[in-house]
Amino acid sequence: MASVNIQNVQKRFGTVRVIHGIDIDIQDGEFVALVGPSGCGKSTLLRMIAGLEELSDGEIRIGAREVSNLPARDRDIAMVFQNYALYPHMTVKDNMGFALKLKKAGAEETRAKVDRAASILGLESLLERYPRQLSGGQRQRVAMGRALVRDPQVFLFDEPLSNLDAKLRVQMRGEIKALHQRIGTTTIYVTHDQVEAMTMADKIVVLHDGMIEQIGAPLELYDRPANLFVAGFIGSPAMNFIRGRVEEGVFRTGNGLTLPLPQSANPATLGGRELVCGVRPEHIRAVASGGIEGRVELVEGTGSEIYAKLTCKGDEIACLFRERLAVRFGDTIQIAIDPSTIHLFDIETGKRI
Amino acid sequence: MASVGMENTAAHSGREKGGKPVRLAPNYWPFVIPALVVISAVIVFPWVFTLWMSAHRWTLGQEQSFIGFDNYIRLAGDARFWESLWHTLLYTVLSVVAPLFLGTLAALVFDAQFPLRGFLRGVFVMPMMATPVAIALVWTMMFHPQLGVLNYLLSLVGIGPLEWIYNQSTVIPSLVLVETWQWTPLVMLIVLGGLASIPREPYESAEIDGANAWQKFRYLTLPMIAPFLMIALIIRSIDAVKSFDIIYAMTQGGPGTASETINIYLYNTSFAYYDIGYGSAMAVIFFIAIVALSFVLLMVRQRTNWSEMEER
Repeated sequence: MASVNIQNVQKRFGTVRVIHGIDIDIQDGEFVALVGPSGCGKSTLLRMIAGLEELSDGEIRIGAREVSNLPARDRDIAMVFQNYALYPHMTVKDNMGFALKLKKAGAEETRAKVDRAASILGLESLLERYPRQLSGGQRQRVAMGRALVRDPQVFLFDEPLSNLDAKLRVQMRGEIKALHQRIGTTTIYVTHDQVEAMTMADKIVVLHDGMIEQIGAPLELYDRPANLFVAGFIGSPAMNFIRGRVEEGVFRTGNGLTLPLPQSANPATLGGRELVCGVRPEHIRAVASGGIEGRVELVEGTGSEIYAKLTCKGDEIACLFRERLAVRFGDTIQIAIDPSTIHLFDIETGKRI
Repeated sequence: MASVGMENTAAHSGREKGGKPVRLAPNYWPFVIPALVVISAVIVFPWVFTLWMSAHRWTLGQEQSFIGFDNYIRLAGDARFWESLWHTLLYTVLSVVAPLFLGTLAALVFDAQFPLRGFLRGVFVMPMMATPVAIALVWTMMFHPQLGVLNYLLSLVGIGPLEWIYNQSTVIPSLVLVETWQWTPLVMLIVLGGLASIPREPYESAEIDGANAWQKFRYLTLPMIAPFLMIALIIRSIDAVKSFDIIYAMTQGGPGTASETINIYLYNTSFAYYDIGYGSAMAVIFFIAIVALSFVLLMVRQRTNWSEMEER
């Protein structure tokens, strides 16, 4: 196990700069998720940590060693790829033991390590099979087994669950998390799925256009998003963004919709500025009276919750109700928002106020 | 409509409603007969006729007589036959191994990206397109001990003149050189196709697992292109074992019988000495040997084909 220290790492492809100087400190044993939309540079950053991509600038340290210019094989890391990248002509056992074979480990040691990894991952009965004979989830486990056998200082995961179906993804998510809790190896996990990042990581790094938008614990990102991008990216369904101004101690939109201000906001300093008010759909309650009136434009029920889109004085607001409400398209209902759950952002800089 | 559907179903299942088998009318024969006629005429009849001839003393201009297995017994004691078999084996092994090795090497080179790759690849495959007899004539001139360009080139680096196809000890390697020159491009194309089809992701895994360039070739590339190497091996083996035109055009089996393969000996026996019966016996034995070789190679191919391993 080791810490990973990334300092001012940059990546350019020709004249195009895809990573703009990134600094991340990852503690020994920490599970860090790099999350962001497609093309944000998260996989490139992971590949640079792995040694599969050269750095244009900056420095990467694993433990006390500076590894920026070391080839991948000398970095003492293990990586699980999105497409598993198993050796198609080798059995599961040979796939898992390949790294040890290269290190010229003894047959006894190799068998012991492969058996141990296989028992952790439930692969004992599949050791003699070829990758083509395995299901997606089993291949995923073999890829993890291959990493486990190495006993590396750092585990790198590059969107390992993207090719699995929804049910298997949830199952594997739990298995990876449990595995990390059991062996405690420093893990860097790339995903575009914020739910994966939120449920698995100790720390999340939100990337956008090759830059870090925010680093923090999952709940920190959820409760106090640093800017509009993080606010919109973290949380599902996405946060409502409503444009307006602070007038007479309330937030008022151009259509006349008024929302309460968070206690922390000082109306005196915010008065007159154009702002964005952020409200998470799950923080909106339905009330019998005295709330904000809205017309139901869309209702989607999943059994455990009801997702509804309302038009409140011309502004569209998405709501997620955990109670069973008898709402239908075209109904008019009233909603209330707890002021403490409201976020305010500067419309020009996008930063949290 | 419903009743029509039911009748069709009954007809397709080959049974009447009562479960009794329906006898299918033999009206498909007109479609099969043309193919059967052609196959019988060009494959079955020649082979049956060859077998029949091999059981006879059959020399052109003389009376034929049935002699059973005498031709085969004569073959067993024919030193020239065994010598030609050895020449065939040597020629085949060298003409398979050299193009396979060089073709794989060339495929690895052409698999990399470099300027003028497409053009150079085109130039490289040109020998394959040339006519064997034309190649034989050009190479015969190049092999000429006094006038040939090869000895001139060797003289530039201080190597004395060789006699190439005019010397008993160098004639087979010289013929193999021509065969290799012509057929290395074919192996290169097959292996290049293989290299293009193998997945690239495992190489990154191997990089992280600690493999160096040689280990990646040894443990990934080579096993993954093994099925393609086997295809090249089968094609080359069958081609080389029955090679005739280049040898006949360049040496006619000479000097003496130093480059006489079974094919040349068979041809000479049948069409120079007109001993058709004995030549037919040779052809039968040679055919059995080629079928056995193909069978062995196909078995080996099955074992190296990792992409079909789950079927076994």
